[in-house]
Amino acid sequence: MIGNIILTLGLLTAVVGVVMYYLTFKGYNNTLSIARLSFHATVILIIAASAFLLHAILTHQYQYKYVYNYSGSDLQIGLLISTFWAGQEGSFMLWTLFTAIVGLILLDYTSKRGDLEPRVMVIFSLVLSFLLIMLNPLLKSPFNYIWMDQDFINLKSINPAFLSMPALQSFMFNDPQSGSSFIQMGKELYATLTANNIAVNDFIIEGKGLNPLLQNFWMQIHPPILFVGFAMSAVPFSFAFAAILKNEYKDWVKQSLPWVLAGTMVLGAAIMLGGYWAYGVLGWGGYWGWDPVENSSLVPWIIGVASIHTLLVQKKTQDKGGSGRFVKTNLILSILTYILVLYSTFLTRSGILGDASVHSFVDPGMTVYLFLVIFLGLFTLLGIGGIAYRWKYLTENFSFEENVLSRELALFTGAVALIASAIIVFVGTSAPIFGQTVEIKFYNELNLPIAIIIGFLNGFSILLKWKHTEGKDLWKQSRFAILSALILTASFVIIGGLNDVMLIILAYSSSFALFVNGEIAYKIFKGKKSFLGAYVAHIGIAIFFIGVLATGGHSEHKQVDLTKGEKVNVYGHELSFLGYEPFDNGKRYYFNVEVKKGSSVNVIKPVMFVAEFNNSLMREPDILVGLTKDFYIAPVSYSDGTEEGDHNHSVIMKKGETFDYNGTKILFNSFVMPENMESMMSGGGFKIGIDLKVTSNGKTESLQPVMQNTGEGPTYIPAESKSANLRVSIITMTANEGKVELEFSNLDGTESKSHTAQLKEVLTIEASIKPFISLVWIGVIVMALGFIIAAFRRSKESYA
Amino acid sequence: MNNKYIFGGIIIVVFMAIMIFLFTQTNVSYENNFSKVINSEKTIKATGSWVKEKNYTFDKNNNIFSFYMKDDQGNEMRVYYKGMIPNNFESSTSVVVTGKYINGNFQATEILTKCPSKYQDQATQSANS
Repeated sequence: MIGNIILTLGLLTAVVGVVMYYLTFKGYNNTLSIARLSFHATVILIIAASAFLLHAILTHQYQYKYVYNYSGSDLQIGLLISTFWAGQEGSFMLWTLFTAIVGLILLDYTSKRGDLEPRVMVIFSLVLSFLLIMLNPLLKSPFNYIWMDQDFINLKSINPAFLSMPALQSFMFNDPQSGSSFIQMGKELYATLTANNIAVNDFIIEGKGLNPLLQNFWMQIHPPILFVGFAMSAVPFSFAFAAILKNEYKDWVKQSLPWVLAGTMVLGAAIMLGGYWAYGVLGWGGYWGWDPVENSSLVPWIIGVASIHTLLVQKKTQDKGGSGRFVKTNLILSILTYILVLYSTFLTRSGILGDASVHSFVDPGMTVYLFLVIFLGLFTLLGIGGIAYRWKYLTENFSFEENVLSRELALFTGAVALIASAIIVFVGTSAPIFGQTVEIKFYNELNLPIAIIIGFLNGFSILLKWKHTEGKDLWKQSRFAILSALILTASFVIIGGLNDVMLIILAYSSSFALFVNGEIAYKIFKGKKSFLGAYVAHIGIAIFFIGVLATGGHSEHKQVDLTKGEKVNVYGHELSFLGYEPFDNGKRYYFNVEVKKGSSVNVIKPVMFVAEFNNSLMREPDILVGLTKDFYIAPVSYSDGTEEGDHNHSVIMKKGETFDYNGTKILFNSFVMPENMESMMSGGGFKIGIDLKVTSNGKTESLQPVMQNTGEGPTYIPAESKSANLRVSIITMTANEGKVELEFSNLDGTESKSHTAQLKEVLTIEASIKPFISLVWIGVIVMALGFIIAAFRRSKESYA
Repeated sequence: MNNKYIFGGIIIVVFMAIMIFLFTQTNVSYENNFSKVINSEKTIKATGSWVKEKNYTFDKNNNIFSFYMKDDQGNEMRVYYKGMIPNNFESSTSVVVTGKYINGNFQATEILTKCPSKYQDQATQSANS
């Protein structure tokens, strides 16, 4: 109750803030202090609500539906805190919290820069108001009580002391399918409990727990950083809109630049942290799967990066006076960045990607869906409408022409290439809305040429001078890079075995960028260090491209069975399975694998366990990290040698082959062709079978399972042998290749023991080699570093 | 002539053209009616449910996972997947497989399992983006 009251008050003060800031902008004198007071009140209330939610989580107050649904009492403290953002409601709360804190800093920043504050903060308060509407009790409040909707709670979560109460019996029932018992939670049960003086958080003593996929360190840091990035992406929108409000387009550029740089850095780092999570913990084997949920935060990031480049041109061209170039482009890109963040939210939270993404949220219900559409629609209308309203003024005042060999044009072309890439990802990601989806090839093939263009521009734009460059100067400056890149690329081709033409060009353009920026960065490093930002960031992206190229093109993987005590050689590593080892109170298991290469011996520990949470086998990879390559081991399955599994056994056999099933020898002797071939040829009904010679206990008999085609698809007639305790059924048949897939099972229903006498422990793994994946991470870190340096420099320049 | 529009325009036009072409080449549509899946030669994302009564098989030698799937109308088909049994498979209620129907079977290249059960509707599908 208290939580919802705090949030509602927060919404009220936020709306007051919007109105008061608007009045201040309109020229009222005495409203600014009220506006500031309201905004501060909103921030304090949001912080209070967040603290209240965190307290409820830490003290296990399961009367809150959110706390019950996502947390549990056995979680360690770090993971328990991370349940704050494990679900829809909590992650909205976190997003709102960070937006509030960013708003506080923004208020301080804008109040020192002329009349900026009311114009920027009116929009930013509006952003905050919308997030708070999302958190109201009718939509996605994390403070809603568990009895407000009907819910089924497993008896495991209920305090056993109350279970024998007669009043409760009518709320309990069994689910025969799962064999579990549930209690039906709702208003009626709540009334019954209140009548008996039982508090709900005494009654429910355990939560559902946190999804084991999310139980790791990266869950504790990736979502918070992502939401800081989301929160900061509202800033360029506010600055651009502030410029539209005043119809003045000069100062906002330098004022927003440090924010754009910092926000893009944070968002980019968060995205790649997610990539590292996928690689190191979730076991996809890669860092990027082009999943719609991943892509949806990538699109606004790319647009943000594009806007940095065109903002720089505008800032530079302002030196001559006036507003500079690309005024319209910059307004549009800054506004698009936030709209695309909202669009991403819409995609991932509306349930629209339910069938397309591994990790999208489930359908949140019609009200939330509609609200998300309104939120997105209103900000689109506001941003695009504002530009449209000033369009005539913008077209009359800002039109320029660039020289071909100028940095302005190179930066603009770079931005266009980035936008093209964003459009590609956007289209592919949005396709599920129309019941379509694209293959990964779509993204890869389209982004490859863009990456090549970006690589070249990355180098050339830095060599080109503002306004105009002489062709011969360009050659003089770039020949070192052109030749060094040639040597490096040649070494990729000769030593690395790179052979695809497009990839060779990409390797060349990336190494060219690397050398150009490296050379200049080295010169600057001896001089004015605050100017290093752009070069460092560009070196980072070049390293990143080379890393992607090496890893993407040259990863190898294969599945291997590791029998305990036996050594297997995989990609030059000698592997032996040492056995499993329980940890985490016996809930999880390490499957220790010794990896020997030359004189170095390491033990890597992939993890497998059956999660109680969803009754599924969970697998976590482990990696032997190396300088030039990672050796990646993902667990597949484990057999302790005593059972084969609880399912039937299927095998593909060729004519003439013999198979050993539980000591019974089965020979695939011949096909038994249909008696009337005409019927088969004319597409009518026919029977086709196979002849098997089955030998068990010294006796041999013939079995003939049959596939019958009646014209409406095939049916299968199994064959049985009592003496061999065997049933054989055809699964599929490809007579022209002489192959048949058969399924064997025991007649008496006993579990089919392993077909070969296998009493050894076997761990099946997927081993892979990821060359130079470290470059991907190093590239990202270097890039982020460049953004930070640039943000510092631009914040010094931002005073009006 | 305005260089800005020439450079920007060429990039955008070229990529739009390639994109539209590739989109038509690589797009995959969802289908929840298996009789249509069976008669199509295109790659499809088929949505349906796992036929638990028929269990599944895993051929360790060839690393092939197979199971039966049915749609709302009760049409069944057998799905083959080269790879391991996905996490969550046993508790899934709904399965999305990507692939083609060839020689009487669905050859999947990708399996996505969803686990919204009556009693556990939200928790299994939370965000880890």
